[in-house]
Amino acid sequence: MAAHGHPLRRVDDADPAAVARRIDREILPYLPPRLRPLLAALPAVQRGRLVEIRLRIGQPMAALLQGDEHWFFGAGGLVQDPRQGVQVTAEDGARLLVALTRSSVYALEEEFRQGYITLPGGHRVGFCGEAAVEQGQPRTWRHVGAFNIRIARPVPGAADGVLPRLLAPGGRVRSTLVVSPPACGKTTLLRDLARQISWGVPSLGLAGTTVAVVDERSEIAACYQGVPQYDVGPRTDVCDRCPKAFAIGQLLRAMAPRVLITDEVGAAPDVAALLEAVHAGVTVIASVHGASWAQVAARPALRPLVETAAFERAVLLSRRRGPGTVEAILDLAPPRRAGITPAPDP
Amino acid sequence: MGSRLGAALVLAAAALLGATVARAYEERLRTLRVWQGALSMLMTEIVYGSTPLPEALQRVARHTSSPVAEFLADVGTALHAQPATPAGELWRRAAAGRPGWCLAPEDEAVLVELGSCLGQSAAADQERHLRRALAQLAHLHDQAEAQRDAHGRLWRYLGLCAGGCLVLLLY
Repeated sequence: MAAHGHPLRRVDDADPAAVARRIDREILPYLPPRLRPLLAALPAVQRGRLVEIRLRIGQPMAALLQGDEHWFFGAGGLVQDPRQGVQVTAEDGARLLVALTRSSVYALEEEFRQGYITLPGGHRVGFCGEAAVEQGQPRTWRHVGAFNIRIARPVPGAADGVLPRLLAPGGRVRSTLVVSPPACGKTTLLRDLARQISWGVPSLGLAGTTVAVVDERSEIAACYQGVPQYDVGPRTDVCDRCPKAFAIGQLLRAMAPRVLITDEVGAAPDVAALLEAVHAGVTVIASVHGASWAQVAARPALRPLVETAAFERAVLLSRRRGPGTVEAILDLAPPRRAGITPAPDP
Repeated sequence: MGSRLGAALVLAAAALLGATVARAYEERLRTLRVWQGALSMLMTEIVYGSTPLPEALQRVARHTSSPVAEFLADVGTALHAQPATPAGELWRRAAAGRPGWCLAPEDEAVLVELGSCLGQSAAADQERHLRRALAQLAHLHDQAEAQRDAHGRLWRYLGLCAGGCLVLLLY
């Protein structure tokens, strides 16, 4: 049952031409008119490999391509030397902000405060600059100096190697903790688990089930105006940008989910809310930051989850063979003494 | 017979000229009132509804009279079509393309200043800008009313008198 070293199906498998078309349709119109031709002129193969586009005022526009390739946009295409790149001006930044907010900063106050906006298509634009602080808390951004446009890439099938291992006899999904350092594919895995559990997988004996996604950082479903931009399934309800503890309670009361999925659990109130959900008979699939099970078990805030055996499985991810490498799937169900690292599920 | 008809035509033309000038005072008042209503609705959409500006402008336009309705609808449509162009720029262009809407330059200055701030900040700040514009328009409305009372009737009589004088001089 071990899936050691097995990488999730990655975005590299996606059709670059389709990604390039989505970029043309969903990203290009937002770019300032002066910089738009630089992206439009890239060959479709390169556009299809774009992971990030970064605009820093006073610096050349930069691109991150799949395979961790860092480039800059030059007048004749991508260049390695930043001195040959086309600089982003303050006017470009102002125009990009206008386009991103559709001249409606007031309608995106919370997003503005949190520093990222989700675009139609699920693409995400992070920004930072000079914060306006009020009573010790950032109220908004007075000046925005840097933008990071992250291209959304659905990875249908990312959970193919994991889902069969999470099913109990009778097709019940086991409560599972996804343990992963940052940028190892845990959100991608959660998203595809939501999609597959919601649609159902007849070949695995899994009937479609009501799923609730608590998407505090708007990453799993990437909602735009409350509508998921990724396919998270036809039986999925998403609570977008809402604090986890509140959202879990709200979903349990109002939406009667059978499976609840959430990202990056860490604070004590979130843990308490998750335990409530587990004790209410809901299957919980959640992710936590950590490089190993020992690290997770040692975190005081997560101890109640470990000690109460709320989770039956733990999926450990890494980047060892690329993002989304499944290092191990642990069986947490057998009785064990606290502090003992469970063995991989045989 | 011909001279009588000519005199009547001259008199009518002069009276019409006076009435047209007097009506411009009325029309300015009406337009200012329509603007005040439209901005109050826009404030509700922005501050309480958090409606994105393109939709907010078009929604307000549907419940507003001419010529303000056409102006707001045009800016809303332009915002949809050109998302990377600041609202203030589109607002200014639309205002410049409407020389015949009976507003005084000081009225237009208030509107252009408001347009340059629209959508650029948080709801509380937008409310401040809109309330200030509404207060300025109310002040201008009072001034326009006083001008209408003082000059409107004067222009009507002036038109008639000028026509009468012309008739006396010509015939």
